[in-house]
Amino acid sequence: MLETLLDIVSIAALALGLGLATVGLVGLARFDGIANQLHAAGLVAGPGLFLVLFAAIGTGKAESITSALLVALFVLITAPLSAHAIAQADRRRRENPDED
Amino acid sequence: MPEIAAVIAFAWATVLLVAGGLLILRSDDPLERVLVLDVLVAIVIVVLTTLSYLRDVSYYIDAALGLALLSFVATLVACRHVIRGRPF
Repeated sequence: MLETLLDIVSIAALALGLGLATVGLVGLARFDGIANQLHAAGLVAGPGLFLVLFAAIGTGKAESITSALLVALFVLITAPLSAHAIAQADRRRRENPDED
Repeated sequence: MPEIAAVIAFAWATVLLVAGGLLILRSDDPLERVLVLDVLVAIVIVVLTTLSYLRDVSYYIDAALGLALLSFVATLVACRHVIRGRPF
């Protein structure tokens, strides 16, 4: 009973996460301008990745779940750092275009 | 988790990885390439996680852990290279 429920929840999370990643990639291909594309890229590295990692509860193994939890924690720390660096580079490049 | 769901998820994640590679080849702006490469790292983490679900072993997620910890350094240095022409 509980295993069937966990299976259903994890398959739903997996499908939703991969769907969000697909939507983010399509947005990355269709938008122009780094700022707009950064918005779409956040969908892949944020909700899409977290939902795929959340599907680890379907495996029922403690080591998979703790590893997935740690990956989610580190992505939560590093994804805003790289997004901020890209946005800052875009702004600097727009403000003084003749520097490089 | 049923095997067929894990197979479909792994195939889907691999298709996303190939699509991201084509996106890098298509873009002409260096900063856009850096951004797509950052997204590709997230997709590689997804591929490793679904591979771990497929084979039912946990250590593929540990490889994803290292990638999640260290990949942002590459993005930071590439961004600095794009604005200043040198990494530091």
